[in-house]
Amino acid sequence: MIGQHNYTTTPTYNFPPQIEELQLPQTFIELSLNSMKNIESSYLQPNQTPLSPLSTEHIAEAAPIMKIQHPQTIKTIPLEHNQNVKPVVAIDVSSIRIGETERGILCAIRGAIVWKEKKRYKYQRIGPFPFHITEQNKKEIHKLFRNHNLEIPADNRIPNIANIQTRMGTLLEHWLQLGISCSAYSTIILWDGSMTAGMADSPVDEMARLLEIARNRLSTVLAFSKNTTLRFSGHKLTDYAEKAKPPCLLQINGFPISSGPVLLLGNVYVAKLTPGVCSFRLDIDRKVPQERAIEAVQSLLGSDLLTQSYPETLRLAHIYSTFTATEVIGIQRFIAQQYGLKIVTRPNVRRLLFGPFGKGSEGYQ
Amino acid sequence: MRLYKKEGNSLEILSFPNDEVEKGDYLLVEDSNTNRKLITQVIDVQFASVPGLLEELLRDSTAEEQIYGNNFDPLGVSSHINHIQDARMLICKIRGTMLNDRLRASSSWLPSRSKSGITKIPINSLLAHVGVNKSLPIKIGETKDDSPLNITAHDLDGRLNIITGKKGTGKSHLSKLLVLGLVDYSATVVVLDLNGEYTGLGYSAKGGGNEYSDRVCVLSPGANFRVSLSKMDLGVMLKILVHALALPGTSTREFKHIWKSLCQQGKFTLQDLGDAIRKSSCNMHVRDALFSRYYSLVNSGFFTDNEELATGFEKLFEKTKKDGGVLVINLKDVSSVDRQIVLEYTLGSLVKLLGQWKIKSVFLFAEEAHLYLRETYWEDIVTRMRHFGLFTNFVTNQPDTIKENIYRQADSIFLFNFTNERDLETVSKAARVDAETVKSIAQELPPHHCLLIGNAVKDFPVMVKVRALDIKTMGQTRLFFTKN
Repeated sequence: MIGQHNYTTTPTYNFPPQIEELQLPQTFIELSLNSMKNIESSYLQPNQTPLSPLSTEHIAEAAPIMKIQHPQTIKTIPLEHNQNVKPVVAIDVSSIRIGETERGILCAIRGAIVWKEKKRYKYQRIGPFPFHITEQNKKEIHKLFRNHNLEIPADNRIPNIANIQTRMGTLLEHWLQLGISCSAYSTIILWDGSMTAGMADSPVDEMARLLEIARNRLSTVLAFSKNTTLRFSGHKLTDYAEKAKPPCLLQINGFPISSGPVLLLGNVYVAKLTPGVCSFRLDIDRKVPQERAIEAVQSLLGSDLLTQSYPETLRLAHIYSTFTATEVIGIQRFIAQQYGLKIVTRPNVRRLLFGPFGKGSEGYQ
Repeated sequence: MRLYKKEGNSLEILSFPNDEVEKGDYLLVEDSNTNRKLITQVIDVQFASVPGLLEELLRDSTAEEQIYGNNFDPLGVSSHINHIQDARMLICKIRGTMLNDRLRASSSWLPSRSKSGITKIPINSLLAHVGVNKSLPIKIGETKDDSPLNITAHDLDGRLNIITGKKGTGKSHLSKLLVLGLVDYSATVVVLDLNGEYTGLGYSAKGGGNEYSDRVCVLSPGANFRVSLSKMDLGVMLKILVHALALPGTSTREFKHIWKSLCQQGKFTLQDLGDAIRKSSCNMHVRDALFSRYYSLVNSGFFTDNEELATGFEKLFEKTKKDGGVLVINLKDVSSVDRQIVLEYTLGSLVKLLGQWKIKSVFLFAEEAHLYLRETYWEDIVTRMRHFGLFTNFVTNQPDTIKENIYRQADSIFLFNFTNERDLETVSKAARVDAETVKSIAQELPPHHCLLIGNAVKDFPVMVKVRALDIKTMGQTRLFFTKN
């Protein structure tokens, strides 16, 4: 009997990832719906700063400052364009505060996946999902975090309402990252942020699992941080790339892998991929051999458009997830109509008190 | 719809696509607290300035060219976002106030922004409110809400009206409709027809005669429209010589002597006039001047010595007294000098007959009047002749050929589409409507649609689709290439 081989096509282009494949938990959608259905409020006070810092692009930048204890060297790794074109996929999530009710806050979360396929960009937007976060449903939301392995603080305190909005975004982002890691093969996966794990919204096990799945499917995760708190000899890490000749990576040696509960799951580089003033902190999965990591960056150079050292796919993911002012008004209208809330604009206290000088966090219009 | 802003007599109203409001529609802003209603007309529909819209469009325009994808939106929030993107700002003009169901011109009050309700009002119900005279109706066509729109013949009686619009928009068609509408009520109408467009008024579209056949009289100068000197008044003849043929003053005086001597002799043929000029003892230059005008008169073919062939203007009008009628002066293929002669004669005779109360009044429809009406006639027609009973309707595609003071005195304007800003600027000088309304609405009027301004619609500008007429279409442009 002749053994029959199992032939399967290499799933290089198995995008777009279907929503079902992304396994967006039904509980997430239900929680959104339930939190909205149970609004016990007569009014919605729109956020006076619709696109203020309360709109969170990404939270990975909030990682604790890790000082380099024993600095050794900064090594420049020159890069070449790799003509072997690979699929590139990027994930980003945004959350925004929509307004306040008598009981809590209203926020909305949306994710975007953008991928480049045969010289064309495609996108899948997930959301927006409105949430009504109150002291009453905080526990229910927290249960959702726990069920999906998002850790809770050691003292078991439930985070405040504003932080929950951020956490919800992270939760959605992890799901999307997981979906992509599971469906992509031999792909460059771009994350917005870093590979710092061990914080409340980035449990080590969960993040390690994401990276492992990607690694096993011959994909490489590259995490770009627009801002970094990492410093070397008092200077911001990215400042060292100013005089470097692009395209190149600066490899920073001497980082501690961990600091307390915080663990760096990636090797930290500074990426200066095109001429220009910008360079970014780039984390690449520590468990990926360095040759493969560098090859992945070189493949990115050959596979994606880069502007100011930033990959276009990731830029688009950011654009597609971010909320514009029109969308915020649209969501406010949806909530007001769907749940019978009256939109009430309260006077701006800072403006009332300080007039033109009242330009604090509430002052900008 | 929500009230957003008021500046002067302009209102800005926020609306959404499902409100289905278009340019020209009337809206009622009702403030229940004060029991007052503001009547406004939408003169422009713009996109509302929504914050963040530019970012939205930039994002979407990227999507159209290079990037495409899907949205997973289980809660259906996107439709609300799209709704916001499509928000419109209705730019409206305040036309009046309703206080206890009585119309007032005042617009000095401010309705409540939060409490006011805004609704669309059908044109007919608006016109019923403002008290449009319903007697002697002339059906013009249909309004935007498909209800018939009538004006009353009284609105053309004793009035000055202007029908204007660019070529091919339906001015002459409306003019014919008004002419026949007046004839229906036994009015006498004179049409100065430059292109022979009105010669088919007595025929149906299929070619046979129609109900107006026996009331339409087409007069072609030199053919069935000729006059004899014996029936001509000296005053009319002098107008022809001075205004149409530019006879100088000295020569005019000499002509008066000649004419009076012919009167005394009872000789009134062209031959007699030529002989009298030849025998005149006047200066040689004067005689030459008189001869050149004499030959112009003879060559025009408009004058005849045969009394049987001569048209008795008075008799023609006599015929129209009972059932009304149209005299179409067909000026097609008539040279410009001859046209002037015919016009001076026609208008001179009309004024004479009206002055003698031989006819009650005449509605004059003048197509492209600037081509044959001398400068001094304009004001004469608008001011003096109106009191004699000559009510003029100008039809033109060159609005700048009509003087500004005529626009200011126009009672009603039937405005068709204009795309040229300068033309609109000219029409907007009409005292009965603001310039913004004219410019904004007229630029987007489709063919056969007109904006009625002024007295005919009680100063509530109304857009109307002019109805079809069962008459033979004349005056079509002759084409070289035949259409398949």
